[in-house]
Amino acid sequence: MEKTEVEILLIEDNLSDAEMTIRALRKGNIANKILHLEDGFEAIEFLFGTENIPTPKVILLDLKMPRINGIEVLQKIKSDERTKNIPVVILTSSNENPDIKICYTLGVNAYVVKPVEVEKFNKAVHDLGLFWILTNQTSY
Amino acid sequence: MDTKPKILIVDDKSENLVALRTVLKNLEIELIEATSGNEALKKTLHHDFALALLDIQMPEMDGYELASILREEEKTAHLPFIFISAVYTDNLNVFKGYEKGAFSFITKPFQPEMLINKVKFFIDKHQQEITLFELNKELKTMNKELEFSNKELEAFSYSVSHDLRAPLRAVNGYAQILSEDYSPKLDEEGKRIIEAMKYNSTKMGALIDDLLGFSQLGRKEVQKSDIDMNELTKAVLNDINKTMTHKAEIKIGSLHNLKADYRLFHHVIFNLVSNAVKYSSKKEYPLVEILSEDKNNEIVFSVKDNGAGFDMRFAHKLFGVFQRLHKTKDFEGTGVGLAIVQRIINKHGGKIWVEAEVEKGATFYFVLPKN
Repeated sequence: MEKTEVEILLIEDNLSDAEMTIRALRKGNIANKILHLEDGFEAIEFLFGTENIPTPKVILLDLKMPRINGIEVLQKIKSDERTKNIPVVILTSSNENPDIKICYTLGVNAYVVKPVEVEKFNKAVHDLGLFWILTNQTSY
Repeated sequence: MDTKPKILIVDDKSENLVALRTVLKNLEIELIEATSGNEALKKTLHHDFALALLDIQMPEMDGYELASILREEEKTAHLPFIFISAVYTDNLNVFKGYEKGAFSFITKPFQPEMLINKVKFFIDKHQQEITLFELNKELKTMNKELEFSNKELEAFSYSVSHDLRAPLRAVNGYAQILSEDYSPKLDEEGKRIIEAMKYNSTKMGALIDDLLGFSQLGRKEVQKSDIDMNELTKAVLNDINKTMTHKAEIKIGSLHNLKADYRLFHHVIFNLVSNAVKYSSKKEYPLVEILSEDKNNEIVFSVKDNGAGFDMRFAHKLFGVFQRLHKTKDFEGTGVGLAIVQRIINKHGGKIWVEAEVEKGATFYFVLPKN
């Protein structure tokens, strides 16, 4: 898959969560080109590593990750003219997160707490995919 | 360490200083002498005094002037004085700073006993102030520690909610994959076991969420407003109808208004009424009654059901976290709800209690001050 073909960029260090998320998207027939990266460092490399800046339809971003965390990635994306219009959805485990405010200040497009229950989780991911891939119009 | 209180004695005549020293020699104090106002001011720079005995008639700077200056200085602004004068004087008003602190007045020749008693009085007062100051300091330190452990608790709650939920979601998710993709290969028992896995991981998720709710409550400020409890109860019943499958007849009296936190009391009423509906669900005619009563300066609310009730011998356990009086197979629950309710009521300066009888029902009462 070419860098520029990526439609959904999933940045998630928890492999189980990543597997569930990708599965839920595929189940919802959102079989678009998904790329999974395992931490913020890989994400920054992918997004800014070369002159060729990718513009996925949506970035699904976990917060708590090793090396470079989600907040740092979000900050980098939203402060760069070339990437700031890419919709970013935070997908996190916690509803107790002191970072919600920070994320919105940084310009996050949505903030979703991953439910424990499978049905709810699948529905949340499915709805997200539907909205950001099929409904939402990007500026590029 | 010498902790004797220090007393400043100021007199331009050294024989008077000797006399004062003799009179006060039996007290547990340290005397610091000065023979002029200027010298006295210098001494205050190096010592912390509990009391000053000031002669009024002195050359250059008299006792009143000295006292006024002492009042102006931050370090001595609250230093008590005893003025000692050879003549009776009614010009106390020349001492402008007298409203700022304690002082007393003695004319010469004075009774030694009288001076000793006055000095003792001020020394005691000084000691009390020191004790108070130290207590206050201790309190401030403890407050800081408390703030710190509160912050730690917050970080802990966050980790708990984040790190415990992730593996649970995985257990739940993989169980789901198993049943979706492999169910043709599984017999009934295999399918039952998968459902049990999903049920338990979901339940643990609910436990974590409830526990976090309980700990969050401790940190939230109560924001009181006048609440129309009739309106609030209607909103609660609306929510209950949406979320609960059980139905009960619900009778509502004309409820008194409360001065309380709306969001928190929505939680209280929701919890009590949904409990009442839940525990009466096995009766033929489930009935829940919500009433309030004005008793002197307090409003007593009650939520009564005709359900399963419980043995009053276990009533003391009911409001503890994770405490339940019914088996999960009979009635679902995490055992956190009533602990939260009690905490909310306590935070409002109220009280909650319960009366119940096995198979006849339970009545929860809470009382809140009117203001």
